[in-house]
Amino acid sequence: MLAYTAVGNVFVWIVWIAAAAACIGTGVLVVTRTNPFHSALALIGNLGSLAVLYLLLSAEFVAAAQILVYAGAVMVMFLFVIAYLGGKADAPWIGGRSWHQVAAALAGIAILADVLVAISLSAGGTLKTEAEVTRSFGSPEEIGRLFLTDHLLAFEITSIVLLVAAVGGVVLGSHARRTEAEAAAESAEDAA
Amino acid sequence: MIAAAWICLLLPLAGALAITLAGNLLPKRIAGILATSSVAGAFAAAVVAFVLMLGDSPGQRSHVSTAFTWLSAGSFHAGFSILLDPLSMVMMMVVTGVGSLIVLYSIGYMHGDNEERRYFGYMALFVFSMLLLVQGGNLLLMLVGWGLVGLSSYLLIGFWHEKPSAVAAAKKAFVVNAIGDATFAVAVILLIQQTGRIDFGAFSAISLGNGGVVNIVALGLLGGAIAKSAQLPLHTWLPDAMEGPTPVSALIHAATMVTAGVYLIARTHSVFELAPHVQDLAAGIGAVTIIVAGLVALVQTDIKRVIAYSTMSQIGYMFVGVGVGAYASGMFHLMTHAFFKALLFMGAGIVIHALGGEQDIRKMGGLRRLMPKTYAMMLIASLALIGFPLTSGFFSKDAILAGALARGNYGAALWILGMIGALLTGIYTTRMFITVFHGDATETVTRHLAGGGSGAAHSAATAAHATDANATDDHAGHARAHHGEGPRTMLVPVAILAVLALIGGFIQVFDWWTGMETWLESVTPALHQPSGLQEAVSSIAGPLMGLLGVYLAWSTYGAKKDTAPRPWALLERKFYFDELYDRIAYGPAATLARLFTRVVEGPLVIGSGDALGQGTRALGERLRPLQNGLVRSYALLIAGSFAVMAIVFLAVR
Amino acid sequence: MPGPGIAAYLGIATFLFVTGAVGVLLRRSPLIVLLSLEIMLNGANLALIAFARHWGNGDGQIFAISVMAVAAAEVVVGLGLIVAMARKNLDLDVDDLSSLKG
Repeated sequence: MLAYTAVGNVFVWIVWIAAAAACIGTGVLVVTRTNPFHSALALIGNLGSLAVLYLLLSAEFVAAAQILVYAGAVMVMFLFVIAYLGGKADAPWIGGRSWHQVAAALAGIAILADVLVAISLSAGGTLKTEAEVTRSFGSPEEIGRLFLTDHLLAFEITSIVLLVAAVGGVVLGSHARRTEAEAAAESAEDAA
Repeated sequence: MIAAAWICLLLPLAGALAITLAGNLLPKRIAGILATSSVAGAFAAAVVAFVLMLGDSPGQRSHVSTAFTWLSAGSFHAGFSILLDPLSMVMMMVVTGVGSLIVLYSIGYMHGDNEERRYFGYMALFVFSMLLLVQGGNLLLMLVGWGLVGLSSYLLIGFWHEKPSAVAAAKKAFVVNAIGDATFAVAVILLIQQTGRIDFGAFSAISLGNGGVVNIVALGLLGGAIAKSAQLPLHTWLPDAMEGPTPVSALIHAATMVTAGVYLIARTHSVFELAPHVQDLAAGIGAVTIIVAGLVALVQTDIKRVIAYSTMSQIGYMFVGVGVGAYASGMFHLMTHAFFKALLFMGAGIVIHALGGEQDIRKMGGLRRLMPKTYAMMLIASLALIGFPLTSGFFSKDAILAGALARGNYGAALWILGMIGALLTGIYTTRMFITVFHGDATETVTRHLAGGGSGAAHSAATAAHATDANATDDHAGHARAHHGEGPRTMLVPVAILAVLALIGGFIQVFDWWTGMETWLESVTPALHQPSGLQEAVSSIAGPLMGLLGVYLAWSTYGAKKDTAPRPWALLERKFYFDELYDRIAYGPAATLARLFTRVVEGPLVIGSGDALGQGTRALGERLRPLQNGLVRSYALLIAGSFAVMAIVFLAVR
Repeated sequence: MPGPGIAAYLGIATFLFVTGAVGVLLRRSPLIVLLSLEIMLNGANLALIAFARHWGNGDGQIFAISVMAVAAAEVVVGLGLIVAMARKNLDLDVDDLSSLKG
């Protein structure tokens, strides 16, 4: 059980506000930029601020995993592909059907309002009492223990999913290469 | 006795089923023998039952036997039961007796027809249906028999179904009878509603009262009787029913089915006695029919139609009989009429058979010497029909007329009409007789009969005859096979009937020997007893009128046929009844049917199938734009529905 | 727990989710759609972690890690598709991929 001084509390609040603002701001940026490179960078920033929030929620391992895996590997892959696509990847705001846009905005607002209402309603009731956690909560040992005992199946299935995704990526990539080779052969024939 | 009655009822049914199920495996001869023996067996059973019934004391002669409960709804029960009492006994013996003779006769008459088995199956079915009608222990079962005889009649009239006129006649008979069936059914329903029962004991004064309901019930029953017995105004089907084979005309349309109406009125006489006006109406209708039918019979040229109208006229007498309460007399005339009318038809059938299918009396003549046996028997039948003294017809017809006189003033009017009818009967019967049998042989006759048995001339004649418009192929074959008066299977029944026509009347001789009346007294007591004077007057005046008619006809037709007066168009067109019904009934019905076909059946019935298909397709077309292939639209729909569901969940909680 | 209560975290999570959803629905470039999808997933993750802390139950974190793994797999496949599209010289426009039109 840790005791917080009044100063510590203020510090936490400052960090929290900064992280929350960054999170929301970068989230909006991701969705609204026309240059996909900017969107990807904004997403990286989002992931970073989320990691800070996780730390505040005593989920240290998850925060580390988020930075290492998500921001470090997945987003880098994203950036690779955006770089590969080059100019083709440009994403201007071309309108679709007008009713789409209106409806999308409405849906978004509806869901937001709904959930906020739900949260505020239950905040007074179910969500009043918080649990006390030990120091080991969210630590790697705890995560590891849970993964290998209570949630072993999820662990194994996750690994299979990743395997399948890897295979799928290879297949998608090689397919393209084959057609490219065929196209090269054809153009060689035409030239001859 | 009850067992004998059940055997009597079910034996013809067994015969019909056997013939039907054996199908083509059964040789045609065997079908005929099977049918005849089943009906003859039924007759034997009926006689046994009769003899046993004689042993019962008069008050004890009514027996009801229920096989099983057929309908049961709340407090209403209707059993499959037969009623065996003197009245049904009379009918049973007449139906099976005359029926077996006629079926025997048909073996010879229908020989060579392609569909002989079907014919005999139908005949057996008919006898069963008629027995069901007669023996039915409650009105419901009687109605079943009623409908079944209508069906058998339809099947048999339209037996030669390649002839469009036969098919049309069958339909006409069925439709007109359906009107009667409808009124009958209404009466039955009302009866159930009023009394909650349907056996013949339900007709007591206590349960029915004297009011309007009883009148409606009686009218309904009368309607059914009129249709079935071909009385005015529902008579138009009977002349056309002559399209069927002659034995059919003999059995159904002379001896049995058409008399079912008379039987019905006699059976339900207690209802009619509670509705005296309806009973008077029945008698009146009968009287009018006597006259109208007699008049039309004067101008008919088809031998079978003359006899058909004569039947209509004679049934009119029976209706007068039961209409004035002389039930026993009516039943008596029913019995004797069965004898001599069947005899007339069968004799006519022999003539038709011998002439290769010719039915026009203008083409006949001089058959007296060429067909002596037939001549003798037709003479007997004609005398009985006219009411020549001491024939069966004499006793029965005059008993009815005496009973009419006994009724009072209304009865006296009926009596006068009956006398006029007797006159007309004499005229038309003699006309027919003279035209067919007397005079010189016509060309048709010589072609068929005078040539003897020489093969070449005969086959040439029949070949020529095959192109004649009136001949059917079957008859051409018959003429070739047995020229002359027909095989023994045809002559023997005719002879038996001739004997019965002569002596059958002696069951009831005025007041002196009241066999029929006493027999039926326990069931249908007469309403009025004619005095000796009334009996005498009727018995003298009746035959006198008949003989007067004979004289008139002889003087007109006997010398030369060409001096016969030109009949009015009114008579020739049968008083325009057919045209009237066409205008008021068939026309509107056909128009309505066409309207319904156009408006209801087309769009609604057939169109609904189409519409269902097209509607589904249209709906599909409308919904098609939803599948626009854009991922974003789909995603939007998902998001939208998620939003809606979330709100709903929140609100519900 | 120091700082704001769980309601605030949940509010952020919801906001992220909705933002991502709107992005998926409104943008036409598959790359941006994929990125918006990531935002949505992260919003869900945040909610999971927040609740895990609130109830003191480690299962939420386990779930969050699994979500991350699945997101990674999904990105692989999605990018593979985008690269395939690019190789076929198709316009990178989600609305063009409508051959499943009814």
